[in-house]
Amino acid sequence: MSMLNYHHFPIYSIMVLFFGAFLIAAIGGRDIAKNRKTTGVRAFIPLLATAASLAFLIALIKPVMLGGEVIAYWMGSRGISNGYAIGIALEVDALSLFFALLIATALFVSAVYSIKYMEHDDNIGQYYILYCMLGGGVLGLVLSGDIFNMFIMVEILTFAAVALTAFRTKVYGALEAAFKYLVVGCMGSTLILTGVIMLYAQYHTLNLAQLAALIPGTMNNATKLAFALLYIGFSTKAFIVPFHPLAADAHGAAPASISVLISGVLTKSGIYGIIRLTYFLFQTMELGAMQFMLVFVGSVSMFVCVTMALAQHDFKRLLAFHSISQIGYVLAAVGLSTALGISAGLYHAMNHTLFKGLLFLAAGAVLHETGTTDLGKLGGLSKKMPHTTVLFLIGAFSISGVPPFNGFASKWMIYQATYQKAVETGNIGFLLVTIIALITSVLTLASFVKVSQSVFFGQLPAEYENVKEVPFGMRLAMGILAVLCVITGLVPQLVTRYLTEPAARAVFRVGDYISSMGFASQTPAPAVSFAQVGVWEPISWLLILCIALLAVTIVAVAGKYDRVSVRSSETVDTKYQLFYGGEDNFHSQVGGGDLFWGFKHNWRHYFSFMHDLHSGIVNDYALWAVVALALSIVFVMIVL
Amino acid sequence: MITFNYICSFFLIVLGFYTIVTKYNLVKTVIGMSVMDYGVNLLIISVGYHPGGTAPIFTQGELTAASSFVDPIPQALTLTSIVIGACVTAMSMALVIKLEESYGTLDTREIRRLRG
Repeated sequence: MSMLNYHHFPIYSIMVLFFGAFLIAAIGGRDIAKNRKTTGVRAFIPLLATAASLAFLIALIKPVMLGGEVIAYWMGSRGISNGYAIGIALEVDALSLFFALLIATALFVSAVYSIKYMEHDDNIGQYYILYCMLGGGVLGLVLSGDIFNMFIMVEILTFAAVALTAFRTKVYGALEAAFKYLVVGCMGSTLILTGVIMLYAQYHTLNLAQLAALIPGTMNNATKLAFALLYIGFSTKAFIVPFHPLAADAHGAAPASISVLISGVLTKSGIYGIIRLTYFLFQTMELGAMQFMLVFVGSVSMFVCVTMALAQHDFKRLLAFHSISQIGYVLAAVGLSTALGISAGLYHAMNHTLFKGLLFLAAGAVLHETGTTDLGKLGGLSKKMPHTTVLFLIGAFSISGVPPFNGFASKWMIYQATYQKAVETGNIGFLLVTIIALITSVLTLASFVKVSQSVFFGQLPAEYENVKEVPFGMRLAMGILAVLCVITGLVPQLVTRYLTEPAARAVFRVGDYISSMGFASQTPAPAVSFAQVGVWEPISWLLILCIALLAVTIVAVAGKYDRVSVRSSETVDTKYQLFYGGEDNFHSQVGGGDLFWGFKHNWRHYFSFMHDLHSGIVNDYALWAVVALALSIVFVMIVL
Repeated sequence: MITFNYICSFFLIVLGFYTIVTKYNLVKTVIGMSVMDYGVNLLIISVGYHPGGTAPIFTQGELTAASSFVDPIPQALTLTSIVIGACVTAMSMALVIKLEESYGTLDTREIRRLRG
């Protein structure tokens, strides 16, 4: 095979990142002399490596996404011997490629952003080494065709993520967040390894395709235990309930460029692992009980995390809880096991990477200029940072599901999918999921109204009078994501045709996945209708949005609205004011400190219960992991 | 005999979990993580065991249908796992040192600035 044959591209896209890490280390990890020239080179290498990685993966869209080919690639040309896979393989189907494309995009954008954002940090060489290792680890995970290799990649990415979380050791809580993440993350990794070994003991192979060919129909108690171990292991990587506090800690403490990766990339790798495990390896998603498990965990994640987010007063921590809430949507949709559900889930996974990345980068921009992410201290930055404000608002509209941005497209599909499932099965529970998803979306919007009010609008504190707009490089990175958010919202037909539908089809074509590797498949491809996928018109919503904006502008201009903003000196007693009412709270921009004090007051028992529950003690989080493991073992033993 | 290995390995894994959940000292948490790792390593190596097997090292022509040897793959996996375990310990100890420097304590109940 020629070197430029596209079958080599998956391994190139992984190796280029690891090679980049090696190259940065070779140049020298430490900048003792603060040599500006080598710093520039070091920032350039990851940029080049991530761009090359993305280019290799984009080149695979044509054969894999459109041609429906599954690339099976044996490393060192050791393949199958006597019916057993003895080599290490990469296997790339549309699902792997879909996740790999998301990951590579996030890596590239974050590398662009890092150049200016990390400029003033020391030891920037180490940062970029870990950055490339993290990227290579995640890409290796989603492109691997070997379950032990998946474990190795999980360890590499966990390690790099922990080290990067603690990279700014002086940041409030960074070390603590990293340690908690390391402890629970390592418990998860150990569970994955134990599961892998138990599968190996039963089937004497580590190849994913061969395991998928062997496991269904031959399950015994050991394989069921392995399933539960692997499921909880990948759950810790996806940060779904009950592992969400780790995500919140890690996101809050890590540099913003890394928060983008933790939310956009690491959680995706966990979701990918769960899909591979349930749909491919064990093929258990036909069972109503397994669908229930994923949909239930997803719904709980989306609701619990959005209410946790409402109570936060740190910008990045709030975004972190929203991130897991959106992952709940993805998991609930994927768990439906219908064509529409999986397409919707994957679509939302893609949108989540884009809008969450954008929001974290905007939070990073605020931190870069003001030095804080405390919502109580910020305010009025729209006057000083107009571009960042617009970009943030695009991200906020997207995550809240305001048409015509991309969040609406995928959330609409999720509502449709859960409702369709409820109608098909006659199960009222799925209708409840639709309602939870709607409520969560409303609460998300409420929360982002609060964030935009307390960071970008309202009164500008005197200490931020000299704040400037962020450098062009950072705005460029945010701009790329904002443009992608708008595009994927406006043309959902193209997105579904070229990206999500091939990936969702791949989920149902387990037989192809097995036979491409050279094993005999027992599973016939089910007949699945994709007719319902993506039938709605976003352009009309864009027109409605434009008309509404125009109307507001005309009314505002014609009515000569009062330009004076609320001054805290004038608002003597804020208790009874509309919107700004509530108890006085110091460090606060608007009188009551919160736009939704009435809502929070009525739910105070729930909020204080949740606050006490998230105690911040690592033992508690470890206990949650053990309880989740025990529950899932019992559940799996009963239903499988 | 090999059943005893399996029981022991799962006992070690659970003991590791128990240590992490119940001990409030950071160093003990790290020890718990190591114990958990050792349990998994014991499990892996036991999976490859073959009664009466020799080391899986053969030269050309030495290997016959009658030769009995242990499964080499779990041994390779164990090596990888041991290396990862050592890295985990090193990194968590580094974090513990830094935590002790900035919090002045090793008690997990006091290292909880991030909560709620």
